Amino acid sequence: MSLENSATESLPGKPEPSVDGGWNRVHPASPFVRGWVALAAVGFFFGRDAFERMLQGRDVLDPNLSGRVPWLLAGGAVVLLLTVGGFILSWYFTRYQVAEGYVRVNTGFLFKQQRQARLDRVQAIDIVQPLLARIFGLAELKFEVADAGESAVRLAYLPLDQAKQLRATILARAAGVVSGPETAEEIPEAPEHVVLSVPPSRLIGSLLLSEQTIGILAGAAVVVVVSVFTQNQTLFLALIPGILGIGAAYWNSFNKGYNFTAAISPDGIRLRYGLLDTQAQTLPPGRIQALMVTQPPLWRIFGWYRMHVNVAGYGVSGSTEGSARTMLLPVGMKSDVLRMMSLVLPDPGVEDPERVFTAGLEGLGPVGADPAHGDGFITTPRRARLLAPLGWRRNGFFATETALLIRSGRWWHTLVMVPHQRTQSMALHQGPWARRFGVADLVLHTTAGPVSPRVFQAGVEQAVELFDQQAARAREARKRQTSEQWLAQVAPQAPEVAAAMPEPPTQPEPPAQPTQNQTSQQEDRHDG
Amino acid sequence: MHTEAIDPPGVQWLRVSPKYVTVRLVEWAIGNVLMLAVLSLPLIFVLLGWWRWPPLWLAITVPAVMLVLALWRLVLIPRQVRAIGYAERDDDLLIRRGIFFQRTMVVPYGRMQYVDVAVGPVERSLGLCTLKLHTASAGTNAQLPGLPSAEGARLREQLSARGEARLAGL
Repeated sequence: MSLENSATESLPGKPEPSVDGGWNRVHPASPFVRGWVALAAVGFFFGRDAFERMLQGRDVLDPNLSGRVPWLLAGGAVVLLLTVGGFILSWYFTRYQVAEGYVRVNTGFLFKQQRQARLDRVQAIDIVQPLLARIFGLAELKFEVADAGESAVRLAYLPLDQAKQLRATILARAAGVVSGPETAEEIPEAPEHVVLSVPPSRLIGSLLLSEQTIGILAGAAVVVVVSVFTQNQTLFLALIPGILGIGAAYWNSFNKGYNFTAAISPDGIRLRYGLLDTQAQTLPPGRIQALMVTQPPLWRIFGWYRMHVNVAGYGVSGSTEGSARTMLLPVGMKSDVLRMMSLVLPDPGVEDPERVFTAGLEGLGPVGADPAHGDGFITTPRRARLLAPLGWRRNGFFATETALLIRSGRWWHTLVMVPHQRTQSMALHQGPWARRFGVADLVLHTTAGPVSPRVFQAGVEQAVELFDQQAARAREARKRQTSEQWLAQVAPQAPEVAAAMPEPPTQPEPPAQPTQNQTSQQEDRHDG
Repeated sequence: MHTEAIDPPGVQWLRVSPKYVTVRLVEWAIGNVLMLAVLSLPLIFVLLGWWRWPPLWLAITVPAVMLVLALWRLVLIPRQVRAIGYAERDDDLLIRRGIFFQRTMVVPYGRMQYVDVAVGPVERSLGLCTLKLHTASAGTNAQLPGLPSAEGARLREQLSARGEARLAGL
């Protein structure tokens, strides 16, 4: 295998040093910050081992260890030297550049990789600050494109200001506001307008009332009952690792959801959250492929909801990091949900969005024979109530001008929203039972993520009608809107302004009335 | 073919080649004969007296049920093949399949990311191919098996051209 260029996309015949002016390196301390994270992980494992020994009443250290200490130290030193050397080399050979509508990253010294990604293909930009990086004022920048895998470009670590500057540059260029070859320094951060934040008390309450807690209580009850019947006290000791794990899970949710703030800016929706590790996500307009609002049964006491989204770049990684990134709102009241919906879908395409969304969140269809005219949602016909004895009045859909709303779940209230122009493909499914009752399911295919939109048990005639209309609506919506270069269409004069006056920063949009901006932006779009 | 209840009204379905039944038969034979042979082993061992544990009725019942199921699937194959249909509309491709579990799918041309044509050994000997459409969604499992090679190539070119003309981002 050749050592040169194992890249997915290589620069077309461009000798590297000639464009050296525009190339930057990440912060020199960054490999060590990453390395410390690894070291901390090692320490955590040893620490946990010792801790478990202590719990079991043995010595903290393994008694067989003492004879091998020098060898261990020498080996450790060699490993340490190799690691540090590797860090320095990897730092030296990692360089990035933002120019000509591309972001380029070169990495590796034995196996070189040159990667370039088109700026206007950006699906999301995250700035992540793990605790240690945060202490040193460093941040990691993640640039996501639509391949549903790992981040296309990760720059770890940059000084925080530089990372924010780079994000502003990338977003401004991707939006089509700034074009031309000028350097990055003069692009300001787009102004933002805070929409909502989650108070810690509500976050704690939401964790205590989550499904996780129900499961734990059920598990604990089982353990208590079993230990009473078997009179076996040691069962509780065996539970200690489990309790630690549960505590870690709660801590993780708390750490990720703490201080959650959502803001809107011309660059898109900004989400910031985190207690020790902080994360700032920017979702440019039109990047959200599907949205889901859910309400676990116990949250109904306080009227709380949570929201998840499908974004092409985030994928469906099962890790806590992935699930945190697809979270649009960890816990919020109905007003928060409605506000976030209006950010995701600036033009709801319906006269009275609040009434419709409310019906979608908590509505129930009428018991009467005519399912079509209750609260606007078309529910499962009465003839199929045996098929869905609980959910038949709840399962329903509502198509606005711009999006399809799907509600389901009698206990676990769920509302899914898919903008028409984001629909990939659709399928009608009908099994033998469904045919017997004259119903069918409509499945909308969207990019990988936590949301999988499906209209459950709609009447056949309504389902076929929706299938046909939805194909037409998606077609129309796609013609109206392209999501790339989202500000170029609304402010076509901006490049000229930038070219004429390079000194003053091009202010993309005034901060006032952000929702209004977005709406006009969608309406003003020219045909693709 | 007659139109089922969940199909959009007024669609003229194109059918896949009847020769695709042969492909399905070969697949059926490979899968089921092997499975039946494995499941019949306990019966043979019991009959030979090597094994004591599975009682005779159980050793007979399991392969018998499998045999009935396999025969049932065999009987269904021609109907299943006849149930596969596709229709090219102005802006999207419709694909349907299934008798008991029916599925009708619509894939807009502008959403197609790429088109695959795959040919297996049995298909090649019959001059058939399988067309697969991929969108940005993993849920789009759009396959058209049993197309005559010429039709598959035509469809691929047609879909690519139309996809390019109606290309939309995500």
